[in-house]
Amino acid sequence: MATILATQALAKRFGGVVATDNVTLDIMSGELRCIIGPNGAGKSTLFALLCGIHRPDSGNVILKGQEVTRLPAFERVRLGLGLTFQTNRAYHHLSVRQNLEIPIPPAGDDRAKGLQERYAYALETFGLDPRSGIRAGELPHDKLQWLEIAMVLAGGPDILLLDEPTAGLSPEETRKTARVLRHLNAAGLTIVVVEHDISFVREVARKVTVLHQGRVFAEGTIDQITAHDEVRKIYLGRA
Amino acid sequence: MKTIWRLLSGPEDIGQSAYFWVAFAALIGFLFYYPRIISEFESSSIAFYLLNIPLALGLCLLWGYAGVLSFGQVAYFGIAGYVYGIVAGNMMGNPWGPLIGSVAGLLACAVVAALFGYFVFYARVQMWIAPILTLVFTLLLETFLGQTAGYQWRVGNVQLGGYNGMTGIPAFQLGDLVFFGYPFYYYVLVVVLLCFLSCRMFVSSRHGQVLMAIREDPVRTELLGYDIRARQLAAFVIAAVLAGVSGLLYVQWGNYITPTQVGLLQAALPVIWVAVGGRDSLIAVAISTYLLNWLTYSLSSSGNQYGLVIVGALLLVVMMFFPRGIIVTLGRELPRRGWRAVASEN
Repeated sequence: MATILATQALAKRFGGVVATDNVTLDIMSGELRCIIGPNGAGKSTLFALLCGIHRPDSGNVILKGQEVTRLPAFERVRLGLGLTFQTNRAYHHLSVRQNLEIPIPPAGDDRAKGLQERYAYALETFGLDPRSGIRAGELPHDKLQWLEIAMVLAGGPDILLLDEPTAGLSPEETRKTARVLRHLNAAGLTIVVVEHDISFVREVARKVTVLHQGRVFAEGTIDQITAHDEVRKIYLGRA
Repeated sequence: MKTIWRLLSGPEDIGQSAYFWVAFAALIGFLFYYPRIISEFESSSIAFYLLNIPLALGLCLLWGYAGVLSFGQVAYFGIAGYVYGIVAGNMMGNPWGPLIGSVAGLLACAVVAALFGYFVFYARVQMWIAPILTLVFTLLLETFLGQTAGYQWRVGNVQLGGYNGMTGIPAFQLGDLVFFGYPFYYYVLVVVLLCFLSCRMFVSSRHGQVLMAIREDPVRTELLGYDIRARQLAAFVIAAVLAGVSGLLYVQWGNYITPTQVGLLQAALPVIWVAVGGRDSLIAVAISTYLLNWLTYSLSSSGNQYGLVIVGALLLVVMMFFPRGIIVTLGRELPRRGWRAVASEN
Protein backbone atom coordinates (compact mmCIF):
# COMPACT_ATOMS: atom_id res chain seq x y z
CA MET A 1 0.00 0.00 0.00
CA ALA A 2 1.20 3.47 -0.86
CA THR A 3 1.37 6.38 1.53
CA ILE A 4 -1.43 8.82 0.76
CA LEU A 5 -0.77 11.43 3.45
CA ALA A 6 2.43 11.97 5.39
CA THR A 7 4.05 14.50 7.64
CA GLN A 8 7.74 14.90 8.31
CA ALA A 9 8.91 16.49 11.56
CA LEU A 10 5.92 18.83 11.57
CA ALA A 11 6.05 21.59 14.19
CA LYS A 12 3.83 24.51 15.12
CA ARG A 13 3.95 26.83 18.09
CA PHE A 14 1.52 29.56 19.15
CA GLY A 15 3.54 32.06 21.17
CA GLY A 16 5.16 30.01 23.91
CA VAL A 17 2.86 27.01 23.46
CA VAL A 18 4.16 24.13 21.38
CA ALA A 19 1.01 22.72 19.80
CA THR A 20 2.65 20.28 17.40
CA ASP A 21 6.13 19.04 18.06
CA ASN A 22 8.11 17.05 15.51
CA VAL A 23 5.20 14.92 14.31
CA THR A 24 5.98 12.34 11.66
CA LEU A 25 3.03 10.34 10.39
CA ASP A 26 2.41 7.98 7.50
CA ILE A 27 -1.16 7.30 6.49
CA MET A 28 -1.49 4.47 3.98
CA SER A 29 -4.03 4.54 1.19
CA GLY A 30 -7.16 2.70 2.33
CA GLU A 31 -6.30 2.97 6.02
CA LEU A 32 -8.72 3.88 8.80
CA ARG A 33 -6.58 5.56 11.43
CA CYS A 34 -7.66 6.98 14.76
CA ILE A 35 -5.76 9.72 16.50
CA ILE A 36 -6.37 9.95 20.21
CA GLY A 37 -4.89 11.96 23.04
CA PRO A 38 -5.92 14.03 26.05
CA ASN A 39 -7.26 17.57 25.68
CA GLY A 40 -4.58 19.92 24.40
CA ALA A 41 -2.54 17.08 22.91
CA GLY A 42 -2.48 18.90 19.56
CA LYS A 43 -4.94 16.77 17.61
CA SER A 44 -6.97 19.59 16.12
CA THR A 45 -3.84 21.63 15.39
CA LEU A 46 -2.44 18.64 13.53
CA PHE A 47 -5.59 18.53 11.39
CA ALA A 48 -5.36 22.28 10.78
CA LEU A 49 -1.78 21.80 9.57
CA LEU A 50 -2.75 18.85 7.38
CA CYS A 51 -5.52 20.73 5.60
CA GLY A 52 -3.78 24.10 5.40
CA ILE A 53 -5.72 26.25 7.88
CA HIS A 54 -2.39 26.83 9.63
CA ARG A 55 1.10 26.88 8.17
CA PRO A 56 3.69 24.88 10.13
CA ASP A 57 6.80 26.57 11.54
CA SER A 58 8.86 23.68 10.21
CA GLY A 59 8.43 20.25 8.65
CA ASN A 60 6.46 19.09 5.63
CA VAL A 61 3.06 17.78 4.65
CA ILE A 62 2.96 15.39 1.71
CA LEU A 63 -0.34 14.52 0.04
CA LYS A 64 -0.40 11.81 -2.63
CA GLY A 65 3.36 12.16 -3.08
CA GLN A 66 3.11 15.91 -3.58
CA GLU A 67 4.66 18.43 -1.23
CA VAL A 68 1.71 20.60 -0.12
CA THR A 69 3.14 22.39 2.93
CA ARG A 70 2.79 25.81 1.29
CA LEU A 71 -0.40 25.12 -0.67
CA PRO A 72 -3.56 26.94 0.43
CA ALA A 73 -6.36 24.79 1.85
CA PHE A 74 -8.60 24.82 -1.23
CA GLU A 75 -5.84 23.37 -3.41
CA ARG A 76 -5.32 20.49 -0.99
CA VAL A 77 -9.06 19.86 -1.13
CA ARG A 78 -8.86 19.76 -4.92
CA LEU A 79 -6.13 17.13 -4.56
CA GLY A 80 -8.59 14.93 -2.69
CA LEU A 81 -8.59 15.98 0.95
CA GLY A 82 -11.80 16.43 2.94
CA LEU A 83 -12.28 17.60 6.52
CA THR A 84 -15.02 18.00 9.11
CA PHE A 85 -14.52 20.22 12.13
CA GLN A 86 -14.64 19.50 15.85
CA THR A 87 -17.55 21.90 16.29
CA ASN A 88 -20.17 21.39 13.64
CA ARG A 89 -19.68 23.75 10.74
CA ALA A 90 -22.41 22.89 8.31
CA TYR A 91 -24.01 26.14 7.09
CA HIS A 92 -26.70 26.49 9.74
CA HIS A 93 -28.51 29.35 8.01
CA LEU A 94 -28.69 27.65 4.63
CA SER A 95 -31.01 24.82 3.63
CA VAL A 96 -29.96 21.17 3.62
CA ARG A 97 -30.18 21.27 -0.17
CA GLN A 98 -27.83 24.27 -0.36
CA ASN A 99 -25.43 22.65 2.09
CA LEU A 100 -25.18 19.60 -0.14
CA GLU A 101 -25.03 21.55 -3.41
CA ILE A 102 -22.19 23.86 -2.48
CA PRO A 103 -19.40 21.23 -2.56
CA ILE A 104 -17.85 20.82 -6.02
CA PRO A 105 -18.92 17.39 -7.30
CA PRO A 106 -16.13 15.20 -8.70
CA ALA A 107 -15.73 15.29 -12.49
CA GLY A 108 -17.69 12.70 -14.46
CA ASP A 109 -15.34 9.80 -15.10
CA ASP A 110 -15.29 6.24 -13.72
CA ARG A 111 -13.57 7.34 -10.56
CA ALA A 112 -16.28 9.94 -9.97
CA LYS A 113 -18.91 7.23 -10.20
CA GLY A 114 -17.40 5.36 -7.27
CA LEU A 115 -17.14 8.57 -5.26
CA GLN A 116 -20.77 9.39 -5.96
CA GLU A 117 -21.81 5.93 -4.80
CA ARG A 118 -20.11 6.55 -1.46
CA TYR A 119 -21.92 9.85 -1.16
CA ALA A 120 -25.28 8.33 -2.07
CA TYR A 121 -24.71 5.56 0.46
CA ALA A 122 -23.95 8.08 3.21
CA LEU A 123 -27.05 10.14 2.39
CA GLU A 124 -29.26 7.08 2.54
CA THR A 125 -27.81 5.62 5.72
CA PHE A 126 -27.81 8.94 7.51
CA GLY A 127 -31.39 9.61 6.35
CA LEU A 128 -30.63 12.96 4.70
CA ASP A 129 -32.82 14.32 1.93
CA PRO A 130 -30.61 16.24 -0.53
CA ARG A 131 -33.62 18.24 -1.76
CA SER A 132 -34.80 19.33 1.67
CA GLY A 133 -35.49 23.04 2.07
CA ILE A 134 -35.19 22.86 5.89
CA ARG A 135 -32.51 25.11 7.34
CA ALA A 136 -29.59 23.01 8.53
CA GLY A 137 -29.70 24.77 11.92
CA GLU A 138 -33.16 23.31 12.50
CA LEU A 139 -32.00 19.71 12.10
CA PRO A 140 -31.60 17.49 15.17
CA HIS A 141 -28.02 17.20 16.39
CA ASP A 142 -27.30 13.77 14.89
CA LYS A 143 -28.50 14.79 11.43
CA LEU A 144 -26.47 17.99 11.62
CA GLN A 145 -23.29 16.06 12.45
CA TRP A 146 -23.95 13.70 9.58
CA LEU A 147 -24.82 16.53 7.23
CA GLU A 148 -21.31 17.91 7.55
CA ILE A 149 -19.83 14.48 6.77
CA ALA A 150 -22.18 14.14 3.78
CA MET A 151 -21.20 17.62 2.54
CA VAL A 152 -17.56 16.68 2.51
CA LEU A 153 -18.32 13.37 0.80
CA ALA A 154 -20.26 15.26 -1.88
CA GLY A 155 -16.93 16.73 -2.95
CA GLY A 156 -15.59 13.23 -3.57
CA PRO A 157 -12.49 13.15 -1.35
CA ASP A 158 -9.95 10.31 -1.39
CA ILE A 159 -8.95 10.96 2.19
CA LEU A 160 -11.34 12.12 4.87
CA LEU A 161 -10.23 13.79 8.10
CA LEU A 162 -12.91 13.75 10.82
CA ASP A 163 -12.44 15.74 14.01
CA GLU A 164 -14.60 14.11 16.71
CA PRO A 165 -17.47 13.04 14.45
CA THR A 166 -19.43 11.48 17.31
CA ALA A 167 -19.33 14.46 19.70
CA GLY A 168 -22.75 14.73 21.33
CA LEU A 169 -24.16 11.61 19.65
CA SER A 170 -26.02 8.86 21.52
CA PRO A 171 -24.47 5.36 21.69
CA GLU A 172 -26.86 4.19 18.98
CA GLU A 173 -25.97 7.13 16.72
CA THR A 174 -22.29 6.59 17.43
CA ARG A 175 -22.59 2.97 16.31
CA LYS A 176 -24.34 4.06 13.14
CA THR A 177 -21.54 6.55 12.42
CA ALA A 178 -18.97 3.80 12.97
CA ARG A 179 -20.87 1.51 10.60
CA VAL A 180 -20.89 4.15 7.85
CA LEU A 181 -17.21 4.91 8.28
CA ARG A 182 -16.31 1.23 8.10
CA HIS A 183 -18.36 0.83 4.95
CA LEU A 184 -16.81 3.91 3.31
CA ASN A 185 -13.38 2.66 4.26
CA ALA A 186 -14.12 -0.76 2.77
CA ALA A 187 -15.18 1.07 -0.42
CA GLY A 188 -11.69 2.54 -0.66
CA LEU A 189 -11.86 5.82 1.27
CA THR A 190 -8.90 6.58 3.50
CA ILE A 191 -10.13 7.95 6.84
CA VAL A 192 -8.34 9.63 9.71
CA VAL A 193 -10.46 10.24 12.81
CA VAL A 194 -9.68 12.24 15.91
CA GLU A 195 -11.79 10.76 18.67
CA HIS A 196 -12.22 10.64 22.43
CA ASP A 197 -14.68 7.79 22.62
CA ILE A 198 -12.56 4.67 23.12
CA SER A 199 -15.42 2.29 22.37
CA PHE A 200 -15.86 4.03 19.02
CA VAL A 201 -12.14 3.83 18.36
CA ARG A 202 -12.21 0.14 19.21
CA GLU A 203 -15.06 -0.35 16.76
CA VAL A 204 -13.51 1.35 13.74
CA ALA A 205 -9.74 1.55 13.88
CA ARG A 206 -7.07 -0.94 13.08
CA LYS A 207 -4.27 1.44 13.88
CA VAL A 208 -4.20 4.13 16.53
CA THR A 209 -1.81 7.04 17.02
CA VAL A 210 -1.59 8.63 20.46
CA LEU A 211 -0.61 12.29 20.64
CA HIS A 212 0.60 13.81 23.89
CA GLN A 213 1.89 17.36 24.35
CA GLY A 214 2.11 17.79 20.60
CA ARG A 215 4.22 14.67 20.03
CA VAL A 216 3.50 11.20 18.71
CA PHE A 217 3.53 9.29 21.97
CA ALA A 218 2.64 5.81 20.80
CA GLU A 219 1.36 4.03 17.71
CA GLY A 220 -0.12 0.58 17.31
CA THR A 221 -3.27 -1.50 17.27
CA ILE A 222 -6.04 -0.60 19.67
CA ASP A 223 -5.14 -3.57 21.89
CA GLN A 224 -1.49 -2.57 22.01
CA ILE A 225 -2.47 0.99 22.85
CA THR A 226 -4.92 0.14 25.60
CA ALA A 227 -2.36 -2.26 27.09
CA HIS A 228 0.37 0.40 26.98
CA ASP A 229 1.07 1.47 30.59
CA GLU A 230 2.22 5.01 29.82
CA VAL A 231 -0.78 5.62 27.54
CA ARG A 232 -3.13 4.41 30.26
CA LYS A 233 -1.50 6.85 32.62
CA ILE A 234 -1.66 9.98 30.44
CA TYR A 235 -4.83 9.31 28.59
CA LEU A 236 -7.06 6.79 30.22
CA GLY A 237 -6.25 8.13 33.68
CA ARG A 238 -5.35 4.67 35.00
CA ALA A 239 -2.02 3.27 35.95
CA MET B 1 -35.69 30.52 -20.79
CA LYS B 2 -36.55 27.99 -18.10
CA THR B 3 -33.15 28.51 -16.48
CA ILE B 4 -33.61 32.27 -16.50
CA TRP B 5 -36.98 31.92 -14.83
CA ARG B 6 -35.61 29.48 -12.25
CA LEU B 7 -32.83 31.95 -11.38
CA LEU B 8 -35.18 34.94 -11.27
CA SER B 9 -37.64 33.25 -8.94
CA GLY B 10 -35.01 31.65 -6.69
CA PRO B 11 -35.46 31.63 -2.92
CA GLU B 12 -32.61 34.07 -2.21
CA ASP B 13 -34.75 37.20 -2.46
CA ILE B 14 -38.21 38.15 -1.27
CA GLY B 15 -40.96 37.32 -3.75
CA GLN B 16 -41.46 33.97 -5.45
CA SER B 17 -45.23 33.90 -5.63
CA ALA B 18 -47.35 34.73 -8.64
CA TYR B 19 -48.74 37.70 -6.66
CA PHE B 20 -45.26 39.12 -6.33
CA TRP B 21 -44.60 38.93 -10.06
CA VAL B 22 -47.99 40.41 -10.91
CA ALA B 23 -47.28 43.31 -8.55
CA PHE B 24 -43.76 43.66 -9.92
CA ALA B 25 -45.01 43.72 -13.53
CA ALA B 26 -47.69 46.26 -12.54
CA LEU B 27 -45.07 48.48 -10.89
CA ILE B 28 -42.77 48.36 -13.90
CA GLY B 29 -45.72 48.99 -16.22
CA PHE B 30 -46.68 51.97 -14.11
CA LEU B 31 -43.13 53.34 -14.14
CA PHE B 32 -43.12 53.13 -17.94
CA TYR B 33 -46.48 54.86 -18.13
CA TYR B 34 -45.77 57.47 -15.43
CA PRO B 35 -43.94 60.09 -17.57
CA ARG B 36 -47.14 60.59 -19.59
CA ILE B 37 -48.83 62.13 -16.57
CA ILE B 38 -45.94 64.08 -15.04
CA SER B 39 -43.79 66.97 -16.19
CA GLU B 40 -40.34 66.54 -17.67
CA PHE B 41 -38.86 68.05 -14.51
CA GLU B 42 -40.63 65.53 -12.30
CA SER B 43 -39.51 62.66 -14.52
CA SER B 44 -35.97 63.94 -14.13
CA SER B 45 -36.31 63.86 -10.32
CA ILE B 46 -37.61 60.31 -10.41
CA ALA B 47 -34.74 59.33 -12.70
CA PHE B 48 -32.43 60.65 -9.98
CA TYR B 49 -34.02 58.48 -7.27
CA LEU B 50 -33.82 55.47 -9.57
CA LEU B 51 -30.25 55.97 -10.70
CA ASN B 52 -28.89 55.35 -7.20
CA ILE B 53 -30.33 51.84 -7.15
CA PRO B 54 -27.46 50.00 -8.95
CA LEU B 55 -24.98 51.41 -6.41
CA ALA B 56 -27.14 50.10 -3.59
CA LEU B 57 -27.66 46.73 -5.30
CA GLY B 58 -23.90 46.32 -5.58
CA LEU B 59 -23.47 47.00 -1.89
CA CYS B 60 -26.34 44.63 -1.16
CA LEU B 61 -24.56 41.84 -3.06
CA LEU B 62 -21.27 42.58 -1.39
CA TRP B 63 -22.47 43.14 2.15
CA GLY B 64 -25.72 41.21 2.41
CA TYR B 65 -24.92 38.21 0.25
CA ALA B 66 -21.11 38.01 0.39
CA GLY B 67 -20.63 39.35 3.92
CA VAL B 68 -18.09 42.06 3.01
CA LEU B 69 -19.09 45.57 4.12
CA SER B 70 -17.63 48.27 1.91
CA PHE B 71 -17.86 51.84 3.13
CA GLY B 72 -16.31 53.15 -0.05
CA GLN B 73 -18.61 52.15 -2.89
CA VAL B 74 -18.94 55.82 -3.86
CA ALA B 75 -15.27 55.77 -4.91
CA TYR B 76 -16.33 53.69 -7.92
CA PHE B 77 -19.34 55.93 -8.47
CA GLY B 78 -16.87 58.81 -8.70
CA ILE B 79 -14.31 56.99 -10.82
CA ALA B 80 -16.93 56.09 -13.42
CA GLY B 81 -18.31 59.64 -13.39
CA TYR B 82 -14.94 61.31 -13.78
CA VAL B 83 -13.64 58.88 -16.39
CA TYR B 84 -16.85 59.28 -18.39
CA GLY B 85 -16.49 63.07 -18.11
CA ILE B 86 -12.90 62.94 -19.36
CA VAL B 87 -13.45 60.51 -22.23
CA ALA B 88 -16.83 61.78 -23.45
CA GLY B 89 -15.72 65.39 -22.87
CA ASN B 90 -12.71 64.90 -25.09
CA MET B 91 -14.83 63.25 -27.79
CA MET B 92 -17.35 66.08 -27.87
CA GLY B 93 -19.02 66.11 -31.28
CA ASN B 94 -18.51 62.38 -31.82
CA PRO B 95 -21.98 60.73 -31.63
CA TRP B 96 -20.47 57.59 -30.08
CA GLY B 97 -18.27 59.44 -27.58
CA PRO B 98 -20.69 58.99 -24.65
CA LEU B 99 -20.97 55.25 -25.28
CA ILE B 100 -17.19 54.89 -25.41
CA GLY B 101 -16.95 57.07 -22.28
CA SER B 102 -19.45 54.82 -20.48
CA VAL B 103 -17.52 51.67 -21.34
CA ALA B 104 -14.28 53.36 -20.27
CA GLY B 105 -15.86 54.44 -16.98
CA LEU B 106 -17.03 50.95 -16.11
CA LEU B 107 -13.75 49.42 -17.21
CA ALA B 108 -11.85 51.86 -14.98
CA CYS B 109 -14.05 50.80 -12.03
CA ALA B 110 -13.36 47.15 -12.69
CA VAL B 111 -9.61 47.64 -12.98
CA VAL B 112 -9.28 49.83 -9.87
CA ALA B 113 -11.53 47.51 -7.84
CA ALA B 114 -9.57 44.47 -9.01
CA LEU B 115 -6.26 46.06 -7.96
CA PHE B 116 -7.52 47.35 -4.63
CA GLY B 117 -9.48 44.17 -3.91
CA TYR B 118 -6.50 42.01 -4.77
CA PHE B 119 -4.52 43.49 -1.89
CA VAL B 120 -7.46 43.24 0.51
CA PHE B 121 -8.60 39.71 -0.28
CA TYR B 122 -5.37 37.99 -1.27
CA ALA B 123 -3.72 39.32 1.89
CA ARG B 124 -6.62 37.56 3.70
CA VAL B 125 -7.37 40.73 5.62
CA GLN B 126 -9.96 40.08 8.30
CA MET B 127 -13.34 41.16 7.03
CA TRP B 128 -14.06 43.67 9.80
CA ILE B 129 -11.14 45.73 8.45
CA ALA B 130 -12.66 45.98 4.94
CA PRO B 131 -15.01 48.89 5.79
CA ILE B 132 -12.08 50.93 7.12
CA LEU B 133 -9.84 50.22 4.13
CA THR B 134 -12.58 51.00 1.61
CA LEU B 135 -13.53 54.21 3.43
CA VAL B 136 -9.92 55.36 3.53
CA PHE B 137 -9.68 54.70 -0.19
CA THR B 138 -12.65 56.89 -1.04
CA LEU B 139 -11.48 59.67 1.31
CA LEU B 140 -8.07 59.62 -0.35
CA LEU B 141 -9.78 59.89 -3.70
CA GLU B 142 -11.78 62.87 -2.45
CA THR B 143 -8.64 64.58 -1.17
CA PHE B 144 -6.86 63.96 -4.44
CA LEU B 145 -9.71 65.25 -6.58
CA GLY B 146 -10.14 68.23 -4.27
CA GLN B 147 -6.66 69.56 -5.05
CA THR B 148 -7.08 69.38 -8.82
CA ALA B 149 -8.25 72.99 -9.11
CA GLY B 150 -5.17 74.23 -11.00
CA TYR B 151 -5.05 74.59 -14.75
CA GLN B 152 -2.40 71.87 -14.93
CA TRP B 153 -5.06 69.32 -13.84
CA ARG B 154 -6.46 69.00 -17.28
CA VAL B 155 -6.88 65.87 -19.36
CA GLY B 156 -7.07 66.87 -23.00
CA ASN B 157 -9.78 69.55 -23.08
CA VAL B 158 -11.36 68.60 -19.77
CA GLN B 159 -10.59 70.34 -16.47
CA LEU B 160 -10.85 68.21 -13.32
CA GLY B 161 -11.79 71.39 -11.48
CA GLY B 162 -10.90 70.71 -7.82
CA TYR B 163 -13.77 71.23 -5.39
CA ASN B 164 -15.71 73.14 -8.03
CA GLY B 165 -15.95 69.84 -9.83
CA MET B 166 -16.10 68.87 -13.45
CA THR B 167 -18.81 70.66 -15.40
CA GLY B 168 -20.29 70.43 -18.86
CA ILE B 169 -20.20 66.64 -18.94
CA PRO B 170 -22.05 65.49 -22.08
CA ALA B 171 -25.42 63.72 -21.85
CA PHE B 172 -25.65 60.11 -22.92
CA GLN B 173 -26.26 59.49 -26.57
CA LEU B 174 -26.27 56.62 -29.02
CA GLY B 175 -25.56 57.94 -32.49
CA ASP B 176 -28.11 60.67 -33.11
CA LEU B 177 -30.33 59.69 -30.22
CA VAL B 178 -29.61 61.97 -27.24
CA PHE B 179 -31.01 60.89 -23.88
CA PHE B 180 -32.34 64.02 -22.30
CA GLY B 181 -35.65 64.72 -20.56
CA TYR B 182 -38.21 61.93 -20.98
CA PRO B 183 -35.88 59.66 -23.01
CA PHE B 184 -33.33 59.89 -20.19
CA TYR B 185 -35.97 58.68 -17.73
CA TYR B 186 -36.67 55.60 -19.88
CA TYR B 187 -32.97 54.97 -20.34
CA VAL B 188 -32.43 55.02 -16.55
CA LEU B 189 -35.46 52.81 -15.97
CA VAL B 190 -34.24 50.18 -18.42
CA VAL B 191 -30.67 50.19 -17.08
CA VAL B 192 -31.83 49.93 -13.45
CA LEU B 193 -34.29 47.16 -14.30
CA LEU B 194 -31.57 45.19 -16.10
CA CYS B 195 -29.22 45.64 -13.12
CA PHE B 196 -31.90 44.44 -10.71
CA LEU B 197 -32.84 41.38 -12.74
CA SER B 198 -29.18 40.43 -13.32
CA CYS B 199 -28.44 40.71 -9.60
CA ARG B 200 -31.46 38.61 -8.80
CA MET B 201 -30.32 35.90 -11.20
CA PHE B 202 -26.80 36.13 -9.85
CA VAL B 203 -27.75 35.45 -6.22
CA SER B 204 -29.64 32.30 -7.20
CA SER B 205 -26.83 31.07 -9.44
CA ARG B 206 -24.09 28.79 -8.25
CA HIS B 207 -21.74 31.77 -7.81
CA GLY B 208 -24.29 33.49 -5.61
CA GLN B 209 -24.77 30.37 -3.52
CA VAL B 210 -21.03 30.03 -2.99
CA LEU B 211 -20.81 33.68 -1.91
CA MET B 212 -23.50 33.05 0.68
CA ALA B 213 -21.58 30.01 1.87
CA ILE B 214 -18.46 32.18 2.23
CA ARG B 215 -20.49 34.73 4.20
CA GLU B 216 -21.69 31.94 6.51
CA ASP B 217 -18.28 30.33 7.04
CA PRO B 218 -15.24 31.22 4.93
CA VAL B 219 -13.00 28.46 6.29
CA ARG B 220 -15.62 25.75 5.79
CA THR B 221 -16.12 26.96 2.22
CA GLU B 222 -12.42 26.98 1.44
CA LEU B 223 -12.32 23.41 2.76
CA LEU B 224 -14.91 22.44 0.19
CA GLY B 225 -12.41 23.41 -2.50
CA TYR B 226 -13.22 27.05 -3.23
CA ASP B 227 -10.65 29.79 -3.63
CA ILE B 228 -12.59 32.21 -1.46
CA ARG B 229 -10.17 35.06 -2.18
CA ALA B 230 -11.02 34.93 -5.89
CA ARG B 231 -14.75 34.67 -5.15
CA GLN B 232 -14.73 37.67 -2.83
CA LEU B 233 -12.64 39.65 -5.28
CA ALA B 234 -15.12 38.86 -8.07
CA ALA B 235 -18.02 40.04 -5.90
CA PHE B 236 -16.09 43.20 -5.07
CA VAL B 237 -15.48 43.96 -8.74
CA ILE B 238 -19.15 43.33 -9.63
CA ALA B 239 -20.24 45.68 -6.83
CA ALA B 240 -17.77 48.32 -8.04
CA VAL B 241 -19.08 48.10 -11.60
CA LEU B 242 -22.66 48.48 -10.33
CA ALA B 243 -21.57 51.57 -8.35
CA GLY B 244 -19.98 52.75 -11.60
CA VAL B 245 -23.31 52.35 -13.42
CA SER B 246 -24.87 54.74 -10.91
CA GLY B 247 -21.94 57.12 -11.29
CA LEU B 248 -22.39 57.17 -15.06
CA LEU B 249 -26.13 57.76 -14.83
CA TYR B 250 -25.50 60.51 -12.28
CA VAL B 251 -23.14 62.53 -14.48
CA GLN B 252 -25.33 61.93 -17.52
CA TRP B 253 -28.26 63.24 -15.46
CA GLY B 254 -26.68 66.34 -13.90
CA ASN B 255 -23.77 66.96 -16.33
CA TYR B 256 -21.39 67.66 -13.44
CA ILE B 257 -19.60 65.90 -10.61
CA THR B 258 -17.66 67.20 -7.60
CA PRO B 259 -15.29 65.50 -5.16
CA THR B 260 -17.97 65.64 -2.43
CA GLN B 261 -19.66 62.80 -4.36
CA VAL B 262 -16.88 60.51 -3.08
CA GLY B 263 -16.68 62.13 0.36
CA LEU B 264 -17.63 60.89 3.80
CA LEU B 265 -21.29 61.92 3.72
CA GLN B 266 -21.97 60.33 0.34
CA ALA B 267 -20.02 57.22 1.41
CA ALA B 268 -22.35 56.72 4.37
CA LEU B 269 -25.59 57.04 2.41
CA PRO B 270 -25.51 53.73 0.47
CA VAL B 271 -24.80 51.87 3.72
CA ILE B 272 -27.91 53.49 5.20
CA TRP B 273 -30.10 52.70 2.18
CA VAL B 274 -29.04 49.06 2.31
CA ALA B 275 -29.32 48.71 6.10
CA VAL B 276 -32.76 50.34 6.23
CA GLY B 277 -34.23 48.10 3.53
CA GLY B 278 -32.51 44.92 4.68
CA ARG B 279 -29.14 43.94 3.34
CA ASP B 280 -29.98 40.40 2.31
CA SER B 281 -32.78 41.26 -0.09
CA LEU B 282 -32.26 42.98 -3.42
CA ILE B 283 -35.88 44.07 -3.80
CA ALA B 284 -35.90 45.52 -0.27
CA VAL B 285 -32.74 47.49 -1.01
CA ALA B 286 -34.09 48.77 -4.32
CA ILE B 287 -37.27 50.01 -2.64
CA SER B 288 -35.52 51.62 0.34
CA THR B 289 -32.98 53.33 -1.94
CA TYR B 290 -35.76 54.86 -4.00
CA LEU B 291 -37.77 55.98 -0.98
CA LEU B 292 -34.83 57.40 0.99
CA ASN B 293 -33.58 59.34 -2.02
CA TRP B 294 -37.06 60.67 -2.57
CA LEU B 295 -37.28 61.60 1.13
CA THR B 296 -33.97 63.45 1.35
CA TYR B 297 -34.43 65.14 -2.01
CA SER B 298 -37.98 66.27 -1.23
CA LEU B 299 -36.99 67.54 2.21
CA SER B 300 -33.98 69.47 0.98
CA SER B 301 -35.75 70.91 -2.07
CA SER B 302 -38.60 72.16 0.14
CA GLY B 303 -36.04 74.15 2.11
CA ASN B 304 -35.86 71.75 5.05
CA GLN B 305 -32.34 71.61 6.49
CA TYR B 306 -32.84 68.38 8.39
CA GLY B 307 -33.08 65.82 5.57
CA LEU B 308 -29.84 64.08 6.45
CA VAL B 309 -30.51 64.31 10.18
CA ILE B 310 -33.78 62.49 9.60
CA VAL B 311 -32.05 59.82 7.51
CA GLY B 312 -29.41 59.41 10.23
CA ALA B 313 -32.09 59.09 12.89
CA LEU B 314 -33.84 56.52 10.72
CA LEU B 315 -30.65 54.46 10.68
CA LEU B 316 -30.56 54.48 14.49
CA VAL B 317 -34.19 53.38 14.68
CA VAL B 318 -33.55 50.58 12.21
CA MET B 319 -30.48 49.37 14.08
CA MET B 320 -32.41 49.27 17.35
CA PHE B 321 -35.76 47.88 16.24
CA PHE B 322 -35.24 46.28 12.83
CA PRO B 323 -31.68 44.92 12.77
CA ARG B 324 -32.51 42.91 9.65
CA GLY B 325 -33.93 45.98 7.88
CA ILE B 326 -37.48 47.31 7.80
CA ILE B 327 -38.59 45.84 4.48
CA VAL B 328 -36.99 42.44 5.13
CA THR B 329 -38.66 42.28 8.55
CA LEU B 330 -42.05 43.14 7.09
CA GLY B 331 -41.71 41.15 3.89
CA ARG B 332 -39.86 38.03 4.98
CA GLU B 333 -39.53 37.65 8.74
CA LEU B 334 -43.13 38.45 9.71
CA PRO B 335 -44.80 36.15 7.17
CA ARG B 336 -42.37 33.37 8.00
CA ARG B 337 -42.25 33.52 11.78
CA GLY B 338 -45.13 35.67 13.01
CA TRP B 339 -44.85 39.05 14.67
CA ARG B 340 -44.48 37.72 18.21
CA ALA B 341 -41.29 35.83 17.40
CA VAL B 342 -39.86 38.81 15.55
CA ALA B 343 -40.83 41.30 18.28
CA SER B 344 -39.38 39.15 21.07
CA GLU B 345 -36.11 38.77 19.17
CA ASN B 346 -35.73 42.50 18.73
